[in-house]
Amino acid sequence: MQEYLLLLVATAVVNNVVLVKFLGLCPFMGTSNKVDTAIGMGMATTFVLTLSAVLAWAIESFLLVPFELAFLRTLTFILVIAAVVQFTEMAVRRISPVLYQTLGIFLPLITTNCAVLGVALLNVQEGHTFVESMLYGFGSALGFSVILVVFAGLRERLALAEVPAAFAGAPIGFVTAGLLSLAFMGFAGMSAG
Amino acid sequence: MNEDSAARSDATGRRMVEGVARVVAVDGAKVWLEAESMSACAGCAAKAGCGTAAQPSRRTPRRFAATNDLDARIGERMVVGIPENALLRASATAYLVPLLAMIVAAVAASGLGGGDGAAALAAAAGLVAGLAFARRRAAMLTAHGGLTPVSLRRAGEALDGAACRPPLARG
Repeated sequence: MQEYLLLLVATAVVNNVVLVKFLGLCPFMGTSNKVDTAIGMGMATTFVLTLSAVLAWAIESFLLVPFELAFLRTLTFILVIAAVVQFTEMAVRRISPVLYQTLGIFLPLITTNCAVLGVALLNVQEGHTFVESMLYGFGSALGFSVILVVFAGLRERLALAEVPAAFAGAPIGFVTAGLLSLAFMGFAGMSAG
Repeated sequence: MNEDSAARSDATGRRMVEGVARVVAVDGAKVWLEAESMSACAGCAAKAGCGTAAQPSRRTPRRFAATNDLDARIGERMVVGIPENALLRASATAYLVPLLAMIVAAVAASGLGGGDGAAALAAAAGLVAGLAFARRRAAMLTAHGGLTPVSLRRAGEALDGAACRPPLARG
């Protein structure tokens, strides 16, 4: 159990998918203008990322490796991610139409989040077991969501700050993201995960 | 939560998440609304000119009921809102509950000595159970009125200066 906890902390904090691995930067910059949007996107991404990490593991272990189809890995994983997004869309729609209307906007965006494909491929590279793959996906998504919300909070404050004209908008956002990334590098070496 | 939606406070001070929808039926104290395009771009939604608003065929219109405090008529565009905390609770229910059920089931199966196959089966069972629970809980939230949208005001014409912008950054 302890190794699972370590894996979670390692993926969420030490090897943060956005600030250390630099994956999923586009949704990170695109949906971090407001905290509400960031929370919605974070939760939807957490669901899709974890589910696709698990399904990608299953397809890799039960289909691609036994039939020696590893060369189809990237293609298959992209299809898996698209299918998971569609499934999530259907599930949320059945669970709550109002929620689907309000938060459904993020779901198609997740298909193009490179962190989702990146985590699925990293799972294969690291040779994780099923539970490890699931926790690796969940931890990465958790890290992505936390950073998204933290960064959205910072950007909401930045919107009120007096920023030199040349830095206003996206540039100061990138500078802030860079500083956050530097701060997260302080965790490096805490865990080998 | 489109780009054109915003979190503002209603008369009672609750923070609301807003969106625009068109009235398709009036039923006493309730109105049935059809949400406008799910585009990420406010300008496109307002003008139906470009972007994802131009491809509505993939999605069937979504109808939902809201309170009719403003005496809305069929065809009018209304700004509707949902309390922010209710929305967060509902999204946690929809996304996190099934996920946590899946993780707990898989970790438990693995802890009991099952292999990868057993853990995968347990995860699938946990996910299905979590989704069923989430559906029941969302129905409860809706029944208690937490997730019932409130008509806040009539929507104005196209937003000022809201030209067609590309959807949110992707990558």
